[in-house]
Amino acid sequence: MSVTRVITFTGFATAVLLGIGVEMLSRRDRSKIPSLAAMCGFVMQYRAGRMPVGRIAVYGFWWWLAYHFFAR
Amino acid sequence: MDRQSGLAIDAAPAWDRPLVTVPAFLLLAAIGGFFPSFSVGASLYVLVLGGAMTWLGLSGRMPKRPSPTRLPRAATWWLIPAGILVSFELTNFVLGSTYPHPTMSVLTDPALDHYSVRAVAYFAWLGGFWGLVRR
Repeated sequence: MSVTRVITFTGFATAVLLGIGVEMLSRRDRSKIPSLAAMCGFVMQYRAGRMPVGRIAVYGFWWWLAYHFFAR
Repeated sequence: MDRQSGLAIDAAPAWDRPLVTVPAFLLLAAIGGFFPSFSVGASLYVLVLGGAMTWLGLSGRMPKRPSPTRLPRAATWWLIPAGILVSFELTNFVLGSTYPHPTMSVLTDPALDHYSVRAVAYFAWLGGFWGLVRR
């Protein structure tokens, strides 16, 4: 296994573990950190006129994620 | 409920209960696990499931949980894991997404070749999408 592959794997694992850590911190009592769900909810409220741009963008990203990992 | 968006309704449908949705997602994930990558079946399956979820989320048929209208400064903590993830993904994408420089999809492809891992990943994806539909 190459060094760059190990570094990359470590980087991704670090990001995921940090994400889990921040989510756990957000769920503590009186935490000021919003949860990931709250962050998504905030982004999805963005509208351009009557168009729910934020909601479409988040759904589109989540949809594309499945296409990228499961289908492409 | 997110009244500002104009997408919310007052009452949830009768089937909107974990007792119904969890088994339904388990069944859908179990079916999804059978479709291998790069197959027409997998593409169509993701297209149909994603389309149905998107329609449910945009149609205003589902009640929405409340979301913050402003983010506190502490929300910047999320930039740390997101920044690391995006920088590694972009760097390896630019370097060609090869074995020594793998993107996330290249790293996860061998695991997703197994039916059980693929089915679990489908379940997680459906659960996440359902959470977004309800937001």
